[in-house]
Amino acid sequence: MRDEIRRIRELMEREAYVADPAIATSVHLALQLGKPLLVEGPAGVGKTEIAKVLSRALDTELIRLQCYEGLDASTALYEWNYPKQLLRIKLEESAPGTVAEKEAAIFSEPFLLRRPLLEAITRERAPVLLIDEIDRADEEFEAFLLEVLSDFQVTIPEIGTIRATHRPHVVLTSNRTRELSDALRRRCLYLWIDYPSFEKELRIVRTKVEGLDERLAAQITGFLQSLRRMDLSRAPGVAETLDWARALAALHAAHLDEALVRETLGCLIKDEGDLRRVEEELAAGRLEALAG
Amino acid sequence: MRPVGAAPDARGPDARGPDAGGRENAGGPDAGGLDAGGPGAGTAPDGGGAPDASGGPDPGGGPNRAGADVRSADLTSVVVALTRALRERGVPITPAESADAARALDVVDLRDRDEVRLALRAVLALRVENYVVFDDVFAALFAAAEDPGAPRVPWPRGAHASAHAEAEGATPPRAAATPRPLSLAGWARPEAADDAEPLGVPAMSPHEALRRKDFSDFGAAELDEVTRVARRISRRLATRPSRRWKVVARGARVHTRRTLRQALRTGGDPLVLAFRERKPRRTKLVLLCDVSGSMELYSRFLLQFLYAMQNAFARVETFVFGTRLSRVTGELRGGPYAEALERLGRSVRDWSGGTRIGACIAEFEAGWPRLVDRRTAVVVLSDGWDTGEPDVLAGALARIRRRAGKLIWLNPLLGSPGYRPLTRGMQAALPHLDVFAPAHDLASLERLAHIVGS
Repeated sequence: MRDEIRRIRELMEREAYVADPAIATSVHLALQLGKPLLVEGPAGVGKTEIAKVLSRALDTELIRLQCYEGLDASTALYEWNYPKQLLRIKLEESAPGTVAEKEAAIFSEPFLLRRPLLEAITRERAPVLLIDEIDRADEEFEAFLLEVLSDFQVTIPEIGTIRATHRPHVVLTSNRTRELSDALRRRCLYLWIDYPSFEKELRIVRTKVEGLDERLAAQITGFLQSLRRMDLSRAPGVAETLDWARALAALHAAHLDEALVRETLGCLIKDEGDLRRVEEELAAGRLEALAG
Repeated sequence: MRPVGAAPDARGPDARGPDAGGRENAGGPDAGGLDAGGPGAGTAPDGGGAPDASGGPDPGGGPNRAGADVRSADLTSVVVALTRALRERGVPITPAESADAARALDVVDLRDRDEVRLALRAVLALRVENYVVFDDVFAALFAAAEDPGAPRVPWPRGAHASAHAEAEGATPPRAAATPRPLSLAGWARPEAADDAEPLGVPAMSPHEALRRKDFSDFGAAELDEVTRVARRISRRLATRPSRRWKVVARGARVHTRRTLRQALRTGGDPLVLAFRERKPRRTKLVLLCDVSGSMELYSRFLLQFLYAMQNAFARVETFVFGTRLSRVTGELRGGPYAEALERLGRSVRDWSGGTRIGACIAEFEAGWPRLVDRRTAVVVLSDGWDTGEPDVLAGALARIRRRAGKLIWLNPLLGSPGYRPLTRGMQAALPHLDVFAPAHDLASLERLAHIVGS
């Protein structure tokens, strides 16, 4: 294993993120090749976490752009502070100066509202730019993003072209509610994160939750793994595992039993139909982690 | 980093080529970015300790065959062999990606096979559907490279439990990851690549293949893909703009009149902008699906589609028919697919029986008149084998046509090349349809969004 990759793993583990070789290698490549990293996978497997941990590990700022339907360039890139401009015009109505001068004054940096993308390329130190849930943005926005990601420069008509002083480390995440374009994929390195294996999830639980009995941690993990095999409509992610483990730790539980699981199932299952099915399975004693 | 001169080790550093060696030695300007991270981040002096495989005795003769002088030119041909094999398996690779793959090899430990695999995969397999093909191709190339004598034996999958891969979750078949020297020499030979393509597999990515696959050989596992298509259709239907405007908090267009009116409050200066945008067009869908015997091949899969549409799009009404018409909107809505099927099974009695398309559609037209209006697209999914009177069908369709925004007939048979819509039922229906289109695969279903929208 390459030293740098091991170091990335260590740094991420120090930030309490359990990174497997695939994650560490992808992050390493993203840093080395200067390409954005596109992370896909089911909800709650720690996609967003990669960017957060990376920014802490690199000791740099995290700039986050949360995508949603209808997100447009002005919200993502920059906007003129229109009320402020109007106020300035009002205040200087009778002041001397040509129209051109006044115009230049109100279309200058102090009147610019920087949005995350512009913010990310104008920092002194390369920040980590997290573009979260890109699949929720519209296709036009994806095309626009493609432009920014390929040049890392932005042209503002009144000011000119702003080129990135330092290219940000870009992490994009997607839950696959929509297929992303091939063009965007090609700009990126790709990483698929699946639900963790038993061993990995156990490590995550032990790293992240304090004061948890060793055996209980294993039981929790085993239970979650068997839940995911049930093909629920909303399978619990690692985030849910941790919520649950913390709740159980707070209750000073020593081991799992049916009653305890029933009482705390709300941490894990957030869909009514799923809840019904899990309760049936519980009643029938078919969930293996409880058998022991 | 191995201590320089610790061993007369010709293959180690050299095998990585001058570039790679240099970077690692220097600690590298690139690595510097990461070094900022924290204590102990500098190039660890004992770093070479771990990839022991390199220091240890070399099991195979492979790496030395090239005279311990594998340069970046050879790395290039490795990438060429890999990308060519991938293309042949239907994973498109652009030259830019090939270049990135070569750069990626520069910054990983070439003796660590799993690391090489993960790095190349990050660059070349750009969607999870391609992971399986990638791992296959990678393993095959390796097998060919390591044992030129028996190139057709694929890498023994899962033969070794891999120390690294264990933690990696569920990526299906993967190459064994025991760190072994990577014999670039054999790997790079073009003929090795040729030899390594014995896997008689369709030359298309699973994704592509799925989209073209006829529904008739569809398994339950494809439900995910059907669901994705349904979501795409519903998104497109839900976001189609109408001619009407509405006021919104933020938008791309300024609502001039409202802005000016608000400006009265601020002394004529439009301090607060009002915005407007197009209202979404409220398209509604009525799906009428034939589940009679002649449709048996397709109905299972069309049901998946109905289920997915019902749960992806709010304004869908679904009916199935054979000899009788059943409204199944409620049965399909909510819960997992298996439960929906169970509910369907309880309430629909005439699966795979005869067909009375005309009578059923007439029943729909008479029984649920309020479901159909100008904004409704009525979609009939049927092969048109009607045992009833064609006039009944023609009459019912004509009446629906007058009230509906659009009348669409999707016929699974239309996907097969030789098919002509000659049945009496189909002949009777054709004059009354706005659109007559195939529905035998996902791609044809996906076009539904465009058809309904146009």
